[in-house]
Amino acid sequence: MSDKMNSSQVVRKFKWLCLLVCLLSAVISGCASGKLNKARKDFYNGQLDQASGALSSPEDVSTRDQLLFYMEKGAILHHAGDYQGSIDLLLNAAALIKDQDVISASQQTASLVTSEWLTDYKGEYAERLLVHTYLMMNFLMLGNHESALIEAKQALEVYDTFPEACSADYFTRALIAHCYEALNEINGAYIEYKKLAEFMGDPAPVARKLCVLARRLGFDDEVEHFRQFIPESELKGSRDSSAGELIVFVSQGKSPVKIPHNIVLPPSIRFSFSTYESRGSYMPPPSVGPLSKSVVPDVVSTDVGEILKASLKERLAQIIVKETARVVAKEAIAHNINDDNLEVLVRIAFFLMEVPDTRCWETLPAYMRMIRVPLSPGENQIHLNAMGQTVAIPPIEVTPGKGPFYHYYSVRNGMGPLPPMGNPQPGN
Amino acid sequence: MFRNFFKKSAFLMSAAVIVLMMVGCSATTRDISPDEAIHYDEGYDFSDKKAIVSDLVESLLNKPPLVSRLDDRPVLIIYGVANRTSEHIETDGITDDIRQEILQSGRARFVNKVQRDNIAKESAYQYGGNVSAETRLARARQVGAEYMVTGTLRSIKKKQPKQIRLKKKTLQYYSLTLELTDLQTGLIEWTDSAEIVREASKPFIGW
Repeated sequence: MSDKMNSSQVVRKFKWLCLLVCLLSAVISGCASGKLNKARKDFYNGQLDQASGALSSPEDVSTRDQLLFYMEKGAILHHAGDYQGSIDLLLNAAALIKDQDVISASQQTASLVTSEWLTDYKGEYAERLLVHTYLMMNFLMLGNHESALIEAKQALEVYDTFPEACSADYFTRALIAHCYEALNEINGAYIEYKKLAEFMGDPAPVARKLCVLARRLGFDDEVEHFRQFIPESELKGSRDSSAGELIVFVSQGKSPVKIPHNIVLPPSIRFSFSTYESRGSYMPPPSVGPLSKSVVPDVVSTDVGEILKASLKERLAQIIVKETARVVAKEAIAHNINDDNLEVLVRIAFFLMEVPDTRCWETLPAYMRMIRVPLSPGENQIHLNAMGQTVAIPPIEVTPGKGPFYHYYSVRNGMGPLPPMGNPQPGN
Repeated sequence: MFRNFFKKSAFLMSAAVIVLMMVGCSATTRDISPDEAIHYDEGYDFSDKKAIVSDLVESLLNKPPLVSRLDDRPVLIIYGVANRTSEHIETDGITDDIRQEILQSGRARFVNKVQRDNIAKESAYQYGGNVSAETRLARARQVGAEYMVTGTLRSIKKKQPKQIRLKKKTLQYYSLTLELTDLQTGLIEWTDSAEIVREASKPFIGW
């Protein structure tokens, strides 16, 4: 009789546990993340309108994935040419990142016996920086240099907070330097270009800028120093940026995504973690043409995968501590259950709940490149050629004597129709 | 008996938590005076705008050249205040307040730069054939500005270095510099700045 009772109790408990596991699995895997996945799929199929439509409001995703909603849709709208829409979303992302600075005790406690999926997604350090990168690009595309500089300053704060993770993001630092330069803050621009040259190890892509700014600041020694990194052909040629510059933001490929890994120790201990895995091979920077022999475009690139991996590496100690604490907490709970059958069921439940957190910003490109091309008076018809694809940049008419202008263009390879050109902005 | 006590305690605890949550979640509103200084964090807010604008306008009106122009009310034009902070701050609000305070003092007049296009449109309309000649505005009677008011808002933010603690402190410095430039000579005739330094702390851990 008592055996019968016990077995019926165990069955009842098992049912409850199954229900609990199912509920938690649904919560963890996020029924709402289906829309995020659809948007990403549509985006990579070049259907930007559908991708944007899949994420019509923040309620479309779980509250824990709000940051992903803003980041993914912000990137989608940027590449669709809706720069103001992208700004609105990414400003929300930046505000959310600031709010998430406070560690939530309730979420951390809950995640200690379940999974990391129960916590709000806070973004990898490099992703937090790239929010400001996209905002800078958006503001520049709209000709709003002042707001772009504000974002540049916020990006500098991220660099200062997470130097190891972000130092290899040369593209963002080049944008920061340009934002200072565009507002004639030449001291700030010079400092940022110089930092960029130091981090890259090769000052050649910014040597021209450093020479020009050093001359304006009266740093003659520095002018001589950086001149040696400018090709001889160009020094002899007639490169002249007084007619303005074309600045193209090129996004290529797909950024790496997180994939799950597990280490299982008998009887029921499961360590779960994620690593970034590439989704494509190396893509060389596009060639620019047709240009005269004395004109060499300046190209500054960021390998997005490298900075994402560095970000995850910087969090490694934190991840190991949390994972160990979770394993210890689960073991302690299971160990203290007096009923053997129930202990087995609880162990099974804990084992199944241990799912690695693979959330990440998936619409990022693999490479971000800033290409600067000096323009000549008259019509400038410039093409970019990459991996067999040619992108014809809308013709730029430069009127002599009207002063330098910056012409911005943002393009992503294989991403639907080409976006419009940004409005030309006076340079200095 | 122990089990009953445990059950009762658990029930009471749960009830208390629910009541606390409901109280915490209830929405409230209250009116506050625009003169009241309220800061939720170290960032720039409306209280700061009022304080720095008042200080600078007082300085502008009580120092040369405007202090010696009590009778003829010089004409000014106000250009935007450049935002060189690391926050998206609507600086048009600052220029609006500066203009309003100076106008209310009765010591100077302003050219309406913002409405120039609309003034031109209205003028063109009046000369378009629908407005009678007697009531039409006279052309070429607009007043040129004698001085230009410009400004720059800057900020410096400093965070407490990383260390083991429960609160994170931030120090924020703001300065608004205004300049009055004589449009004929190009000389800066007056300049002054107002500063705000604020420290704020934020807990590391929340609920």
